[in-house]
Amino acid sequence: MLHLSILLWLPALFGLLGLLVPARHVRWVGVLGAVLALAFSIVLVLDFEPHGSAFQHVTDTTWISALGVRYQLAVTGLNVWLVLLTTVGFAFSSLWIATTSLGTDPRAKHVILHLGIAQTAVLGALLAQDLILFVAFFDLMLIPFFFLTAQFGNGTNEERVRATIKMIVYTLVGSLLMLVAAIAVGVLATPDGQAVSYNIQEIAQRGVPEGSQGWLFACFAAAFLVKMPAFPIHGWLADGYKAMPLPILAVFSGVLSKVAVYGFLQIALPILPQGTADLRWVVLILAVLSILYASSLALTTFNARLVLAYSSVAQLGFITLGVMSLRPDGASGALLQSVNHGVAVFGAFLAVAILGRRTGGSEDLRDMGGAATKMPVFAVLFIVVTYAVLAMPGTANFVGEFLILRGAWEGTAQGLAIVASLGVALAAVYALRLFIRGSHNRVAAKVEPREGTRPELALMAIPVVLIAALAFHPQQTVKAADDATTRAVQRAAIVVGPDHVRKILEADPSARNIAPEPFADVPPSAGTVRPIGGARTTGPASQSDPATDPNTGRAVGVDPSTGQATTPSGGAAGSTVQVDPSTGQTVDPSTGQPVEPPSAQTEGAGR
Amino acid sequence: MSTGWYLAVSAIVFAIGAAGVATRRNPLLVLVCLELMLNAGNLAIVAFARMHGSTEGHVFALVVMVVAAAEVAVGLGVVVALYRNRVPVDVDELRELHG
Amino acid sequence: MSTLAVTEAPHIDWAGISSLIALFGGAVVVLLVGLLRARFARLTLVPVLTIVAFAASIGLAIWQWDEDTSLMSGALGLDPLAMIGVVGIGVAGIAAVLLSIGATAPREAAHGEYHAMMLVAAAGGAMFVGAENLITTFIGLELLSIPLYVLAATELHRRRSLESGLKYLIVGSVGSATLLYGFALIFGATGSLDYAAIADQVAAKGLGDDPLMLGGVAMVVVGLAFKSSVAPFHQWTPDVYEGAPTPVTAFMATATKVAALIAFLRLFDGALIGASDAWGPALAALASIAIIVGNVGALGQSSMKRLLAFSSIAQAGYMLVGVVVATKLGVQATVFYVLTYVVMTAAAFAVIEAAERESGHDGISALAGLGRRRPLHAIALTLSMLGLAGVPATVGFVAKLRIVQAAVDGDYSWLAIVLVVGSMISFVYYLRVVARLWTDEPAGVAVAPQSQAVEVEAPEAVATTTAVADPKGLPAAAVPGGGAVVVTGATILPMTVLAVVAGAAIVVLGVIPGPLMTVVEDVARAVPELFR
Repeated sequence: MLHLSILLWLPALFGLLGLLVPARHVRWVGVLGAVLALAFSIVLVLDFEPHGSAFQHVTDTTWISALGVRYQLAVTGLNVWLVLLTTVGFAFSSLWIATTSLGTDPRAKHVILHLGIAQTAVLGALLAQDLILFVAFFDLMLIPFFFLTAQFGNGTNEERVRATIKMIVYTLVGSLLMLVAAIAVGVLATPDGQAVSYNIQEIAQRGVPEGSQGWLFACFAAAFLVKMPAFPIHGWLADGYKAMPLPILAVFSGVLSKVAVYGFLQIALPILPQGTADLRWVVLILAVLSILYASSLALTTFNARLVLAYSSVAQLGFITLGVMSLRPDGASGALLQSVNHGVAVFGAFLAVAILGRRTGGSEDLRDMGGAATKMPVFAVLFIVVTYAVLAMPGTANFVGEFLILRGAWEGTAQGLAIVASLGVALAAVYALRLFIRGSHNRVAAKVEPREGTRPELALMAIPVVLIAALAFHPQQTVKAADDATTRAVQRAAIVVGPDHVRKILEADPSARNIAPEPFADVPPSAGTVRPIGGARTTGPASQSDPATDPNTGRAVGVDPSTGQATTPSGGAAGSTVQVDPSTGQTVDPSTGQPVEPPSAQTEGAGR
Repeated sequence: MSTGWYLAVSAIVFAIGAAGVATRRNPLLVLVCLELMLNAGNLAIVAFARMHGSTEGHVFALVVMVVAAAEVAVGLGVVVALYRNRVPVDVDELRELHG
Repeated sequence: MSTLAVTEAPHIDWAGISSLIALFGGAVVVLLVGLLRARFARLTLVPVLTIVAFAASIGLAIWQWDEDTSLMSGALGLDPLAMIGVVGIGVAGIAAVLLSIGATAPREAAHGEYHAMMLVAAAGGAMFVGAENLITTFIGLELLSIPLYVLAATELHRRRSLESGLKYLIVGSVGSATLLYGFALIFGATGSLDYAAIADQVAAKGLGDDPLMLGGVAMVVVGLAFKSSVAPFHQWTPDVYEGAPTPVTAFMATATKVAALIAFLRLFDGALIGASDAWGPALAALASIAIIVGNVGALGQSSMKRLLAFSSIAQAGYMLVGVVVATKLGVQATVFYVLTYVVMTAAAFAVIEAAERESGHDGISALAGLGRRRPLHAIALTLSMLGLAGVPATVGFVAKLRIVQAAVDGDYSWLAIVLVVGSMISFVYYLRVVARLWTDEPAGVAVAPQSQAVEVEAPEAVATTTAVADPKGLPAAAVPGGGAVVVTGATILPMTVLAVVAGAAIVVLGVIPGPLMTVVEDVARAVPELFR
């Protein structure tokens, strides 16, 4: 039995252990903790069954009984690869720290402790199946980075403290609104006389009143978009990125922003389908604006860090586009791209660090140059990373972007997809600009012409190997995510309209097997008719009562592969059912079996 | 006599007290005005006690008197301490704490 | 004669008032022990006895936990809400006594009197939280306030202390008088002084829009707002917090908050629940003003005590949200919040007092580089600040969660939004303090990597500088028993103990809030009017 709590708390535990070790050796404690977590998550990935139950390795106990908050962790198709990305990122970061002055600093204990807490928080946010638990970890995630930046960042005390406070407050604007929204979601979804539950599947099943979904979605979207960050709310980005030490920044940029993407898929889409459908154009347009705006900034700035910062913004714009296309392929592409981008960013920030060291600390592109001739090994590794950043055909990034763009083409306006694909072209330009400025040109005056050190090159090899591995097997990620993304987008897809669903089914008929009921044949006329205020009503008496077991996952559902695809509830009744899950728990006439609502109950509790 | 009259008097006294606290500078006068405010409340309580024919209200009034006396005693003590400390006895001069 | 012999004494539930007796009895004993000439008696026995009295009152309150009655013919409630108030005040009292060890204030005011005053104030608070009658409420309030006026002015040679005492007295008395007038009007409207009877009258006669009643409620709101420093009646708070001796400020910040908020709950969610249409919006407005004013006001502060004063105004606003919603969840949320607030604030004041003794002032700069000099203190203050800001994994997050849930559940979502907007602002100043702890080198003192060296160096260096800075600072020898303004060779141990305990509590309760939550579940039954 793989207990997720072990994975979750392991990094923080090692961070605390580091306090007991002499400062000279503490970095190795950090490395050990991160590597152990990495090993654990590799086992998780290998053990994951893509078409098995939706929730695997479930952990479920009471946390705050008075509030109905539970400590629920599970591995799902959505988070399994992101968990791996997280552990890889933190392992990479700890190794990197061990080779730099951060690792030998007298205050190295702080670095290890905060990094450990940060990893625990990120893993917690990814694994949490309880909304409040998610919010808690999501908020906690930031705090270690505050300390890391304030203590070890660049610039004077004053500057970095200001930059990091700005970053925290900016991102908290969204996070705290999300806290209110999360509680409101739980309270509003609770039928009268029943206990409040914040389990995400439970809430999705109960349904949030449609009238409130708009502002609730706006709050969640604000939290996630600030974290990414998206175009108009990226004010903290430049200062924050400049102030953060590079090894920390790599993990911050590579991993934390992905949690926001995950938040959309895991929370906003399933529990607020109406809000998603209503406001998705806002998010889509912001995403496209982010792509264009950030790409053009990346083209003009001379700060190597900021090139990567803005490229991240652009990439996350793409990813958001994929998520908000509300199509399984777009969403899977988004997840794949999250992993790809994370890995590429690790390499890219390391490259910036190496280049920056050569120039004597300057990270200005104009001060760099000549790496290709003076340090060929590094240049080769760097070009691979660059290819990944610009999504060269052959890399997994290309696959990811392709999936996203296809999703956007089919699921949103085609014009949007065309505009967005401009970003692909721009990415090629700024990524190559970074490479050329760094590697070609004349060797600048201040540059010390030497090959990267062995530890540096060895570190650099890690993301390169990963990029290669992903390039050969991109389908692994997509396969794991496929079922889960279908479940994630289905409710919102149905609200958007029958045409949308039909297109999804045309592209991938097997989607019906995963979520048989809502994706049943959609009669064009009835699909748009929705019961009003149905969210609060309870289902017919004959239903299997989901409330008796609020820890969803637990309710034994019907195996998706057996027969449900053959018993679609057709006709108008089916279409009302599919729209509002909590009213839709009718008894299927043909089997006499209660028809389980879609995502939450189709699956067993794992093992 | 209607309770309204008592109430009116007490309201006037309360207003005088409040105005005094707000405008007077000498701490002693401020203390006197505080007394006025408390006793305005007392008057209202006694009037209502008569109106409702309740003894509780009278008890309340007695209690308030004791409390008011204690408050003034402490206030005078602090004023004396301030005076001994050669602080100008004028509330507007209490400037050490900007606020 | 025989008729006299059978005069029956009224029944007194000694067990029920035992925690009050412990506090009052403790005050008397401490006062007498303080008269002894032995140094040991004054410096050691008095604080120990005070702590014993506080601990006894806590223990007795826990012993009486399951009771649910009224004492003294309905004047005093004996129920979990009152008992949890006693516990909270007791904890605050113990914290304040620990902070007072080695402080200037008790030395100047005489140890016995100082500690007795604290016990009497706590007894007043205990009465205030249990009061089910307007008379008891008033007595409890005054018994809590008057000793605090004195305590604020105990540093007789420091002008700021006296000033703060007088200021507190004037503003506090205005609040009392307003409250009293409000009580008079409520009495006039209902003809009763008992909470239960008032609630009955309000319900029966539909006094929700009676002008006398409304006037009374309005004045009570204003009076209590003065007392619990809810904006816009908060102007005195920063001055008084800054001027009063730090241990007294700590006591004021914690014990008074507990007492005032529980009294708020009892009065508004109990006696006046029938008029909630009248006071609901008013209190909601006050709460949001307090949240905004407190948090914005704290932004520019350089003195830690002023910063905490403004933060306490904002926190009072958060806690009021639970009162406003007037539901069972709201009551529980407020009580939970106020208890956690005691813990978080106690940790902060412990560190501030220690830093003040070492550096002679309470500015944020006194905390610079504390992470290197005194890691335990720095960690405790960090946890306290993060807790007050509401960061997950601290108890502040859970508390805020409860408040927000109560607000959303009670259809006050907008208030929840105001609350989180306020918290957002609060992060700026809390994090600024935290950054100071861990980034800066200690100001003034040359960089000393060895913490030992600083410990020896700092107080001396500071003692000389403050003696110059303060023209009235008496020479150290002038006051018997040690330093005048700055305590040289300051005792830091009690502060460290308190900081560590409170800091640990912040994290432990933040990760495992279950037990405290269960305890707080009970309190709502003390407000039966909510369930009618």
